[in-house]
Amino acid sequence: MMQREILVILENKPGALARIVGLFHQRGYNIESLHVDPVTDIENYKDIEVLLNLKLKENEVSKLLITTTVSDNLLRQILRQINKLIDVLIAKEEI
Amino acid sequence: MKLAGNDILIQSLINEGVEYVFGYPGGAALHIYDAIFNQNELEHILVRHEQGATHAADGYARATGKPGVVLVTSGPGATNAITGIATAFMDSIPMVVLSGQVASHLIGTDAFQETDMIGISRPIVKHSFTIESAKKIPQVIKEAFYIATSGRPGPVVIDIPKDTTAPDKLFDFKPLDSVEIRSYNPPIEPDPKQIERAIEAILKAKKPVIYAGGGAINSNASKELFELNKLLNFPVTNTLMGLGVYPAKEDRFMGMLGMHGTYQSNMAMHNADLIIAIGARFDDRITNTPDLFAPNAKIIHFDVDHSSVSKIIEANIAVFGQVKNSLIELIKQLKAKNDLIDENLIKPWLEEIDKWTELHGLNHELYKENSDKNMILPQAVVQHVYNITEGKAFVTSDVGQHQMFAAQYYHFDKPRYWINSGGLGTMGFGLPAAMGVKLAFPEEEVVCITGEGSIQMCIQELSTCTQYNLPVKIININNEALGMVKQWQDMNYGGRHSESTYKSSLPNFVELVESYGHVGFKIEKNSELKTTLEKAFSIKDKLVFVDIYVDPGEHVYPMLVAPNGSLKDMWLSKDKKV
Repeated sequence: MMQREILVILENKPGALARIVGLFHQRGYNIESLHVDPVTDIENYKDIEVLLNLKLKENEVSKLLITTTVSDNLLRQILRQINKLIDVLIAKEEI
Repeated sequence: MKLAGNDILIQSLINEGVEYVFGYPGGAALHIYDAIFNQNELEHILVRHEQGATHAADGYARATGKPGVVLVTSGPGATNAITGIATAFMDSIPMVVLSGQVASHLIGTDAFQETDMIGISRPIVKHSFTIESAKKIPQVIKEAFYIATSGRPGPVVIDIPKDTTAPDKLFDFKPLDSVEIRSYNPPIEPDPKQIERAIEAILKAKKPVIYAGGGAINSNASKELFELNKLLNFPVTNTLMGLGVYPAKEDRFMGMLGMHGTYQSNMAMHNADLIIAIGARFDDRITNTPDLFAPNAKIIHFDVDHSSVSKIIEANIAVFGQVKNSLIELIKQLKAKNDLIDENLIKPWLEEIDKWTELHGLNHELYKENSDKNMILPQAVVQHVYNITEGKAFVTSDVGQHQMFAAQYYHFDKPRYWINSGGLGTMGFGLPAAMGVKLAFPEEEVVCITGEGSIQMCIQELSTCTQYNLPVKIININNEALGMVKQWQDMNYGGRHSESTYKSSLPNFVELVESYGHVGFKIEKNSELKTTLEKAFSIKDKLVFVDIYVDPGEHVYPMLVAPNGSLKDMWLSKDKKV
């Protein structure tokens, strides 16, 4: 078990954040800290654009940083569950 | 073309090919109901409770593979639909639920019949939408149907504030041909390299088992599974949700596995050196104690959902993609290496499984009992129904002992004929689900195998069956108690039947169904069982309810020993444990 930081890029739509927070509760995971912002500094997300093969526009997506203390296996499961959410573009461990 | 929001909504549903909408009107949905009145392309089925609407749509979806559509009003209409949405979610059934909502300007004011449907349904939907304006309706409907039916299917809720369907505001209506959602790309084609790795393991296996579940049915992979096993001749087991995806009549079929699975299936899984999981998710009714599950097995897991793989049991080889496409690729690659398949390698294994079947397999000839000295056995009821319908009926069921007996003793040779709530275990599912199936296939025999506990949870739908003339057969396996609860109380709670009996308060089911205009029979003796059932099934144009009093002491076996048991630890009867 160790503390991890998860980065989520998701569509900036009403209700999108609630789905992620709800998922942590439903699956019995704990959120230690949460930070959310609309993405305005597109130039810092070139790697994500390449990874997803798309162009981001200012304020169109949000960035979520979540810290949680979990094992490797549980982290993988959490990331897969978050990635499954329809509004999520990508969820990955921020190293 | 200029249309009002309510007409845009209905036209969008028609464009998706919707034949039936199951629902119940109310204030917030009245604009939509007016649009339904003004057209004749889709038919609305008026149920008697919103839970019935969701299960009927669900039954329709399971039998046809097409999404079921539900329309309810706000507040209690929406909350009554929740159980049915959760049922569909747990079993990955495509469904679109339209819920009326109070007008936009009233949201958040605790208005009459206001409830936060998006919030309440969030944990049990694949996705949900709120309609913001009539202009967005075509896009939202298109996206909802796409999400509900693609990838791992599931229910989608669309909350519709009343003002967005107002008849007095007209908008340009342009139907959409297709839709793309950039953040949603479910896998379709498998990685051929993973298939190569899978084949390597398959060719080496001495004790393989194919373990196929509901995902294989959702992906319409039955034909491919059959073709695959013509090459491999591996033993096959199906989950409760997977029954029918591999023909029960085939020699290599071992029956269901898990909590009430056959002895041979559970033994084969426990002793396997290779488990090929196809659209199955290793749930707790399958694995028993995960740490003790199949200790020597390598796992190949075919699934469309990343989060289902290595969730409970670590997969050695994971193949992501539509199961159908993955099996097509597997068959293709396997055919190229056909000469490497050594049939002798698994021969001792097949013989071992045959021995298990002989030793403790299910007795499929209980129907031969016709002496009135003994009470009717519930298993024999299912066997008679199987014989009379020649195994060709759609069978829906509720939850409990009768469900397990149906799964064990009705043999399904085709997918989508066994319709039951596997994941959520929802009592009350069977009758409304049968209505949905009967509407989809009016010429086919549709049987609801239920119990006197479950049937009373949605019995109001007998009235819907009268209104739409739905001649389903209801086989009520009546043990005058909540049988499965009682079984657990017998086994784990010293026989203390806490709140699981209600013998003196049961209705006269025959008179009850007759009051709705249906036909009822009551059977209490073995000697009457076959002839009365035959009489019931000879009636084609009426709903027939057969109330059959069975031995109330009967338990479902095999039953896995829990907690702390493995798949090889089973009760085989009340006093025999292996």
